[in-house]
Parts: sequence; structure tokens; C-alpha cells
Amino acid sequence: MKRSIVLMLALAFCITTVLGGCSGNEKAEIKTITVTNNGWDSQMLHNEIAKFIVLNGYENYDFQTSTGSSTMNWQAMIAGDVDLDIESWTDNVATYPEDVANGDIVDVGVLVPDSAQGLYVPRYVIEGDPERGIEPMAPDLKTVEDLKKYPHIFPDDEEPEKGRLYGSLPGWMADEILYKKYEYYGLNESYNYVRLGSEAALFASLASAYNLGDPWVGYCYEPTWITGKLDLVLLEDAPYDPDLYLEGKCEFPKQELKIVSSSKFAEKAPDLLEFFKKYKTGSQLISEALAYLDETGATHEEAAKWFLKEYDYLLDEWLPAERAEKVREALN
Amino acid sequence: MKDYLLHFPKEWQFDVGDTIDLWIKTFSRENREILTAIRNFVIASIKGINWLLAIIPWWLLIIIVMILGWRISGRKRVGLLYGAMLIFVGSCGLWVHMLETLSIVIASVILSVILGFPLGVLIAMNKRAESIIRPILDLMQTMPTFVYLVPAVMLFSTGKTPALMATTIYAIVPMIRMTSHGIIHVNGEVVEAAKAFGSTNLQTLVKVQIPQAMPTIMTGLNQTIMMAMSMVVTCALIGAQGLGMEILLATNRTEMGKALMPGICIVIVAIILDRLTQGLVKRKEAEQQ
Amino acid sequence: MKDEVIIKVENVTKLYGINKSEAIKLMKEGADKDTVYKKTGVTVALWDVSFEVKKGEVFVIIGLSGSGKSTIIRCLNKLNRPTSGKIYFQNNDIDQLSKKELLDLRRNKISMVFQNFGLMSHRTVMENVAYGLEVKKVSKEEREKKAKEMISLVGLEGWEHQPISSLSGGMKQRVGLARALANDPEVLLMDEPFSALDPLVKRDMQFELLSIQRKLQKTVVFITHDINEAFKLGDTVAIMRDGRIIQIDTPQDMALNPADEYVAKFIDGADKSKVLSAKHVMITPRCMVREKDAPIHVIEELSRNDVSTAYVVDDSMKLLGVISIDNAIRARKENIPISDFIDRDIYTIRRDTLIVDMLQLTAKSKYPIAVVDEKNRLKGIVSKSAVLSSL
Ligand SMILES: Nc1ncnc2c1ncn2[C@@H]1O[C@H](COP(=O)(O)OP(=O)(O)OP(=O)(O)O)[C@@H](O)[C@H]1O
Ligand SMILES: [Mg+2]
Repeated sequence: MKRSIVLMLALAFCITTVLGGCSGNEKAEIKTITVTNNGWDSQMLHNEIAKFIVLNGYENYDFQTSTGSSTMNWQAMIAGDVDLDIESWTDNVATYPEDVANGDIVDVGVLVPDSAQGLYVPRYVIEGDPERGIEPMAPDLKTVEDLKKYPHIFPDDEEPEKGRLYGSLPGWMADEILYKKYEYYGLNESYNYVRLGSEAALFASLASAYNLGDPWVGYCYEPTWITGKLDLVLLEDAPYDPDLYLEGKCEFPKQELKIVSSSKFAEKAPDLLEFFKKYKTGSQLISEALAYLDETGATHEEAAKWFLKEYDYLLDEWLPAERAEKVREALN
Repeated sequence: MKDYLLHFPKEWQFDVGDTIDLWIKTFSRENREILTAIRNFVIASIKGINWLLAIIPWWLLIIIVMILGWRISGRKRVGLLYGAMLIFVGSCGLWVHMLETLSIVIASVILSVILGFPLGVLIAMNKRAESIIRPILDLMQTMPTFVYLVPAVMLFSTGKTPALMATTIYAIVPMIRMTSHGIIHVNGEVVEAAKAFGSTNLQTLVKVQIPQAMPTIMTGLNQTIMMAMSMVVTCALIGAQGLGMEILLATNRTEMGKALMPGICIVIVAIILDRLTQGLVKRKEAEQQ
Repeated sequence: MKDEVIIKVENVTKLYGINKSEAIKLMKEGADKDTVYKKTGVTVALWDVSFEVKKGEVFVIIGLSGSGKSTIIRCLNKLNRPTSGKIYFQNNDIDQLSKKELLDLRRNKISMVFQNFGLMSHRTVMENVAYGLEVKKVSKEEREKKAKEMISLVGLEGWEHQPISSLSGGMKQRVGLARALANDPEVLLMDEPFSALDPLVKRDMQFELLSIQRKLQKTVVFITHDINEAFKLGDTVAIMRDGRIIQIDTPQDMALNPADEYVAKFIDGADKSKVLSAKHVMITPRCMVREKDAPIHVIEELSRNDVSTAYVVDDSMKLLGVISIDNAIRARKENIPISDFIDRDIYTIRRDTLIVDMLQLTAKSKYPIAVVDEKNRLKGIVSKSAVLSSL
């Protein structure tokens, strides 16, 4: 009895491995493209879109991701172990200008030209939400400076006399600028500047407040699933001025999220380089795709397919005609 | 057919994630008052501890630690070493951060003892309780901390409270386990002797089992402290100030050198706490041979 | 008074395991312990055990390891509960006791001494000895006074405030004994109390126990697997085998009339010189004379009995000494009373002097040794040959 079970299992295992072996295809000289996966949603989605195109529109490439923190991946890319960083928040990488100047990192293109960041509040804080029975709490809140009038609206439960303002992530450039802004507008008198150590916690605190209909003010950026999903308002600030922005005295510029590569990539995959130079989405588009992802519980891979079908015209902008066709075929 | 053999069938997969999400959201909405009350209490206690630590002048704290180190180890050199280590922390400019870190660690250790000790006793005394609680402990010990970090934020907002909760969930386990282990493994004849002299169950527990289990319980306390220390950086992820946050700030900027300092300070605090409590364990053991 | 029964055990059976009824059936069919265990997985720790312990006696239970000694002694203070059968303490069925009565029994009537001492290492000697009083809620002052008394009774003065870990094995068991006595119980249960001690210390402790027992007149139920210890301490000895009691007797009767081959073999290991005493080997003196008897009369007595010495007693049978035939003849020649010729410097022993203790005397003595009672009345004599042949 026991023996026959073992035999059956062994048989099943053999069949499976043989079948599995058959399914491996033997194309000549396949190059593996490695891209960073730094753990945030929009990048994963962008990666999946690229992956679908690379695997279906081109012949000789395999595609894999290197999961890790952005700093680790950045070092790996300088070393040439990772080929590409799709959706690179270069403004947050202190050494970026230096690395480009040294030729360790190569600018490939701009993926998202219009990414916004700054201080956000849920819309119901300003306008209320009759459906959820929420009264407007700060009807006149429009600008960052207006916050001065409303510290009591955003109480810090560890120090209730003051308001709480959530800063950006420790170590990000945006965080340093935001802190200067906080001092510049005199918010430091009535607000505590609270830094959470991770994006997950920052978003969780926002989601939690949103869930309870509580006021919340803090740093956020687009595109993310949370800006796609929650109804948030970006507080206005003085118009962008390149000279003042680093001191926090004006709004953040619309940030460009770039595609950057290791120095070896151009040589390794010249045809792909053409695609990545043109690969471009937009803050709005991606936020919507992320909200789709969050609402339907789809995988990033599925959301990528959905995106490519939904915005079919992008394929023509990104790819030569015959490659675009191949991708379309694979989509259907 | 081939697909079914190679890949786990898609039809068999299901997703409870959404239900749980929804549940946490609803729960936090419906129990607002209680959660807020807990939050306020926790914040007040941690602040109290921090205040206590902060009113002790830095030099006095160093002297106290030096004396403790000397008394417990019985060697003057050890006391001096601890003093030097603490002075190093101060000269790194991290004294205040150390106190912040310590107040969360101390608060969660106290909470772990308050909850963990009676639970450990209960498990030791009651088979039914044991069969319920033990699997939960296994779960708490193996579940990656990150998984409950976000729900902790959903329930208790950010900062000290969820940090305390997450730390306690992680650190309480050895306290419970070692307490029950210690009590169960008290020499059977000694317990029998207590019974034979007409002790009630409570008397046996209080006069014999717990004191006899003390070295083991102290070992549990030591482990709890160490585990609480190891959560310092994780807690920074949800906004707890202190040494952990300094490390995060530096590592996110790829400033390895700057991250090293608070890292070393955490090690220093951990070493001192470990040696002091282990010294106590050894003493207890020596007393009881 | 002396024969009052304090503990009575009736048909006690104790089984460990699940399938008890099956095991009982097999036992009743006459199966032995091993067979029952193999067939049912049930351990028969005790089977139909009955005995009585009389007030003031030392009742020893002896048997090989696993024979059920610990099981039965633990039943006496209900640390174990019998599967069936009854145990009476002063005519009360201990199974019927309420919780409170049981605590009372353990606090005031029965104390226990353990093989590995069962001392609490986190307490000092004093705190250990006072433990039983502490759980009774006796005031601190009073219990320390009592504890002190007990500590000096077992010879540990000056050690009151020492931790247990600083004591030697023998001292630890003295603490165990003092703790048990501090409650002033009627019965002491001792489960192999001296087995963990080395032989010299063990001898001391046995002596100590006997002297304390004589002083305080406690009833003792004592467990051992050492037949010499059993015979040395026991007024009554019960032998157990595989959960049953196979013989209950005084050491002497057991030594003289073992119930079966097993007991006989067991006793074979015993040093009989330590069990048998003068009363087992003595004979009535064949020739006894009085101090005031005329020498001629003494000579007549001696020659009639065909012996060379006569024991001289007074009117109330008190032993005065020995007179030899040579001296009797001299007295007669010189015409003086025999009192001047009595050898008054002779060895005497008691009825219960152990043979082991007489060996030296018999070697030294010129005459058979006289056995006297506490009033020095002659009861019998023990000859050298009788001593040697008893071994
Ligand atoms: N709790 C228990 N569960 C199962 N079996 C037990 C238990 N306690 C005792 N026994 C069994 O009962 C039998 C009698 O054990 P007991 O301890 O009374 O022997 P003992 O005569 O005191 O032996 P020793 O000289 O080794 O102390 C043994 O076979 C033992 O294995
Ligand atoms: Mg035993």
C-alpha cells in the first residue's frame, strides 16, 4: 500500500518534470534584462508594462526584476548588475547628478513628466462629504500658509496643543525641502513635524484617517495608488521658482520621473534602448491604473494588460509599427 | 492538463485579504473611543517614563549604570566600561534619542511583564488555556513584523502607540513561554512537598512554584528586553522617534557612516541591558544552585 | 493505648492507564503485572493492599524498585488517589474528607519526608522548616520559635539562616526531618529518606531518627529498599512485590519464618546479626544460686547441673555476679560466705541487644553473658556457641 503511493508520487513527479523540461524554449542567445523593483506600486506597474512589451514585442530578451531598497538597487545599477531603473525618482537620489556626470548612470528618457508632490489633505477636510456625514472642517484652507490657522483641526495626539503634519520619508530630498517649508511658513510654532519611516506607514496613516473621516495633512506624491484612489487636494503654494524651491519657499516643480540605465545597457540592448527612450506615461494615467489595481485586486501583470488595452494608442507612440502589432496580438 | 500539473490551479485560489481589510477598517471606525482611550493611556505612560529618564541628569544615569554594572558583575572594570560606553553615546549627540528609544523599550517590557507573566502562569496551570494560547504564541513569533505594522497604524494611528503594540506583540512571547516553562519544570518533589504540607494551590504557586521558577522567568525577561531592542528600527518605520529613526534617516540617504553611530548606540544599550539582566539571572541561579 | 490503630488500609488498588476494567479482569484471572501491562498497557502499581499501622510504631515498607512503595505511601496523604479500596486515618475515610479537612489532615496530622529532600532552594533552613507552619498561618514569631526548636532537635543549631545550597546531603535531610516534625504531626511518612545519603551519614540519620522517634513517640511509615535498614528501624515490616504485600511481620519473625521463597531470598541479603537479638538465642541459666546460700549448697548445685559457673542473684532475682566452682570450693574450705568470692565484674546485656553488638563481649567474656532486664534481674544467658551458630 505504502509502496504504491510512493510509486505514484514518483511517477507524477517525473511526468511533471519532463513536461516542465519541454516547456523551456531553446532560442539562441537570450539576454536577460534586469530592472529595479524598489517596492512601490507605480514602479511595479511600469515594470510589468515594460515586461509585457519586451517579452512579446521583441525576441531575444528575458526580463527580470531585482527587488530591494532603492539605495541598494542604485548601487547595483552603478556596478552594472542591474540594467534599468524604470520610474526613477532621481530628485530623491542625492548622488544622481554626480553619478550621471561620472558616466556611472545614463539618462534614458522621461517616463512621467508631470509628477506632483507636496502637502495634501483629503477633500472632505475642506469641502465636507455629505454622503458620509462629514462637515467641512477648514473651508478656507487653500494654501500651505493657510495651515497656520488650523492647527487645532489636525491635533497631534501625542501633544494635543499642537497640530501634526506628516513629513516625507526620512532621507528623501523632498523631506528636507518640506522641513524648510514648515519652518519658512512658521508652521513649526503650532505643528509637530512627524516623520514616518516608511511609505507603507505614511499611506497607512492617511488611509486610516480617511477611513475614519478624520483630518490629515501631510506629504504625498503622484502617481501612487493612494492619490488615484482617495480624493485628495494638493495645497497650493507660491509658484515654482528654481532659485527658491530648495529653500522651501515655493511649490515643488512638477517632477520628472526618469528612466535611467547602467552604463552598459546601451551596448547590451540597442533596440530596447529605442523603446525605453520613448516609453512615457503620465501621472493621471498611472494613478487611474493603480486605483484599478487596488479596487479589483488584480495583479500588477493583469493591470498592465488592462492598461495597454485601455490606452492602445500609446503602443504606436512607443514602438515601431510591426512591433506594436506583435504586442497587440499577444494582448488579445 | 499539463498546466494543472505544473501550476497550482487558479480556481482553487481565493483571497481573504479584502475581507480582513474591510474588517479592520470597520472595527477601527466602530471602536473609536476605546482605541483613542488606549492610545491616550499609552502615550501618557511612555511620556511618563521618558520624563523620569529625562529628569535624571545624564551624569547621574551614567553613575547609576556604572554602580549597577560593578555590583552585579562584581568587577569594577565592567562598571567603568559601561560608563565609557554611555559617554560614547552622549558624545555621538544621541543621548536624547537613546532616552526616547529606552522609554518605548521600557514601556513595552513593562507591558510584556504585566500581561505575559499572568498568561505564563495560566498556561502552566491550565491545559485548556495552554492549547489555545500556544498556537497564538507560535503565530506571533513567526509572523513577520511588517504584516501587523500597518494594521497597528490603522488601529492606533502612528508614533508611540503602534510602536509599543508592535514591540509588545513581538517581545512578549519569551516572557510567557519562559514563565510557563519555569513553573512547569519546577522540581516535582518540591511541589509535592508543598502540597504534602497542606498548601492550597494558590499557596503552592506563590510560595513555591513562582519563586523556584524565578531564574527561568528572569531569563525570559532578559530575552524580552533583547527582542524589544531589536524592534527599534522597525518601530521607526511607523514613526517612533529615537535611535531607530536616526538609522533610517541615514540609511535612506545612503550615509553608511552616519547610520553606524546610532547602530553602535543600539548595540551599546542592548549590551548593557543584556549584561545587567543576565547578571541578575546568574545571581538568582546561584542562590538556588 | 499502644495497640490503637492509626492508619488502616483496606484492599487498595491503584492502576495507571486507560483500559482499567480489562486490566482488573486479567488480574482477577491471576495474570501477573507484566502480562497485564503487555496486554492492556495498564500498570498495576498496587493490587489489593491491606495493612494497619499502630500508633507509635515504626512501620517499614520494603520492596524492589517499582514494587509500589511510593504509590502506597502517597495514597496515605492523598497525593495519590487509589483506584479502589479504602484508607482510614483515625477511623475517618480519607477519600470522604472535604477540601478543608484534607488540608487540615496534611497540615496537622501527617507530614512527609522525601527521598531527594524536596527542599525549597529559595528559602533558608529556617524558612524551610517553618514552611508547614507558614501555610497554616501561624504567626511569624511563633513559627520561628518552633522551627528553631526543631532545628536544634535535629542538630543543626547555627545553620538557621543559611541557604539550602550550602548544606551537605545529610544536613539537608535533617532539614527535611525538622520540617516534617515542626507541624507536630501524628504520623511521619518517609519515602526512602536516606537512600540518597552515603552509608556513614545514613547510619547517623537512622540513629537520629530512632532517638527522635523514642523521644516524641511519633508513628512512622518508612519506606526503604534496604533490608538492613528495614530490620534496624522497623517494629513491623511489610514486604511488597509487584504491587502486592506478601508478608507483614516483626523483623525477627520475618527473619525466622519467611512467608515464601521470595521473602527468604530477600532476607538472605540481610545481616541477621543486626536483626536477631539476645532474646532469640538466650537460654535460661541452668544454675542459679543466692548470695546467702552456703558454699556446700552452691557446690552441690554446680555439680548437679554439670557446669563450672553459677549466676548469683539476690532475693528479687537481681544479678550480683558469677561464682566459679573453684571459688565455691575455696569458700567452703576456708569457711567463709560465698559473697567474698563472687566475680562481680561481669558483662550483662539486655533482651533486645543485637547479636552484632554482643560479638565483642562474647569474645572477651570468660562466661556466657547474662541477659538482664532494666531492673538488673537475670532473664537468661547467651553462650558463645549460641551466638556463633545464629550467624
Ligand atoms: N504517574 C504514574 N503513571 C504511570 N505509572 C506510574 C506512575 N507512578 C508510578 N507508576 C508505576 O507504578 C509502579 C509503582 O511505582 P512506585 O513509584 O510506587 O514504585 P516504588 O516501589 O516507589 O519504586 P522506587 O523504589 O523506584 O521508588 C511502577 O511500575 C511505576 O512505573
Ligand atoms: Mg519510590
